[in-house]
Amino acid sequence: MWAAIISITCLLLFLFQKILWLVVPMLLALILYYVLVAPLQWLIYRGVSREASASIVILVFMLVVVVGTLAAVPWVVSNLANLQSGVARYVDGGTMFMDSSLRGLESSFSILREAHLADTVSKRLAESSGSFAEKIEPIVVGLMTWTPSLLLAPFLAFFFLRDGRRFAKFLSGAVPNAYFERTLFLLHGVDKTLRAYFQGLIQLTILDAVTLALGLWLLGIPGPWVLGILCAILAWIPYVGTIAGGLLVVLVVATDFPNSAAMAYSAVALFGLVRMLDDFVYMPLTIGKSLHMHPLVTVLMIFIGGAVAGISGLMLVLPLLGVVMVIGETLGALVADDRLRARHHHAVALRKHAAEYGLSQPESN
Amino acid sequence: MVKLFGEAKLSGRLETLRAVSLFEQLKARELRIVDGLLHERSYLADEVVFDEGEDGQALYVVLSGEVLIVHPDVEGEGLVARLGHGEFFGDMALIDTWPRAAQARAAVPTVLGVLFRPDFQTLMSTHARIASRIALQLAREMGQRLRQRVDTATQGRGKL
Repeated sequence: MWAAIISITCLLLFLFQKILWLVVPMLLALILYYVLVAPLQWLIYRGVSREASASIVILVFMLVVVVGTLAAVPWVVSNLANLQSGVARYVDGGTMFMDSSLRGLESSFSILREAHLADTVSKRLAESSGSFAEKIEPIVVGLMTWTPSLLLAPFLAFFFLRDGRRFAKFLSGAVPNAYFERTLFLLHGVDKTLRAYFQGLIQLTILDAVTLALGLWLLGIPGPWVLGILCAILAWIPYVGTIAGGLLVVLVVATDFPNSAAMAYSAVALFGLVRMLDDFVYMPLTIGKSLHMHPLVTVLMIFIGGAVAGISGLMLVLPLLGVVMVIGETLGALVADDRLRARHHHAVALRKHAAEYGLSQPESN
Repeated sequence: MVKLFGEAKLSGRLETLRAVSLFEQLKARELRIVDGLLHERSYLADEVVFDEGEDGQALYVVLSGEVLIVHPDVEGEGLVARLGHGEFFGDMALIDTWPRAAQARAAVPTVLGVLFRPDFQTLMSTHARIASRIALQLAREMGQRLRQRVDTATQGRGKL
């Protein structure tokens, strides 16, 4: 059973990787749906119809996004000139920090000194680094390619909010009577799993962002909230995102405090502490609760997801595994239930008999 | 003429739902909300709706046709009850995951409305007034059944 669940998860990951243009907006729409479903319920609770509630909730969300974007545009335009020099400054700061750290290691370990580790790494970095425009170009092109499909997310979320119940009714309506109750239970199980996962993910992001921002603020590092939120969102990609977040913090610290190695090490220690809090306290309280999975299975599946479908695999593997698990276990129980199958065959025979009624001539004596 | 006060005229479907004792206390607007939650299923004569001992997930309302509630321990053909238009069964499933106490089977071609337990639980948080009216009616029905059982048991003892 477990082998089948893992194989199907891998197969789906492989297929999803081929249609990322659809999977990414669907995933974002699902996250948005589970964030907005609480205000939707609140409106329904106050007597507003589901259709009107879905429209109000999405319109308010879009309004917040548009107002936020309009407010940010003047700031981005005025800071664009600084952005180029700022990014270059942080990259230089990071390179210098790495160089000084490696030279420190070389002075302590003769093997590293003989291997000329610091010189080799700085030579490689110099070879691979290009101009600012060369670096920024793929990011801009990527953003422009993804923008139309990302704009799909709020529209999809609106239809999930408005028609989700109708869709579930339509799906269960297509199922034979014998399996009907179990199918309703299965759809409810899938919804429960996804809701718990995505709401857990949002809670985890908030907890991570607040803890990290508070720690960075206490250390006196500039822009603690921006860094905290960025790192928390990057952590949506297991391991890779976490490492990228850590590097980002070290980069900022190394640049703004070039002569204080203690500050850089404090930032690294803070990051390690937050990761431990995340793994042992926050994660079990939020996402871990939703999937009821053994930590070893979780870690293994994350590695398998990464190997099968790269970054998208890392992000998708856990919710997908949760859903495949629920469907697999329920379908397994349905297939193994002889009584349900017998009832279904009986119903089919009854329908066939009813359809054939009056077709053959009654035998005359 | 547009009616400003009082209840609007109910459509055929909502009239059918109003005839169900469980929903008789609900107003037209509330009936429409419940109708949005109900799944409709059609059964042929002799088709099993659910079996005894099965995990109960939903309550069934007879919208048309007839349903037999059957239990092998009951004398004769095992018939516990014959339910017609407007009656409901499987109500314990709305409260908890108790196994079904008897088998339900369509006696003639039958259309059933199905209220799934999680939908009822959602109704309790989103429309507490509707859910409480349904729950009150459900409690009344259960109380009535209990009284009938006590009466039957008392009469049986009197005969001894």
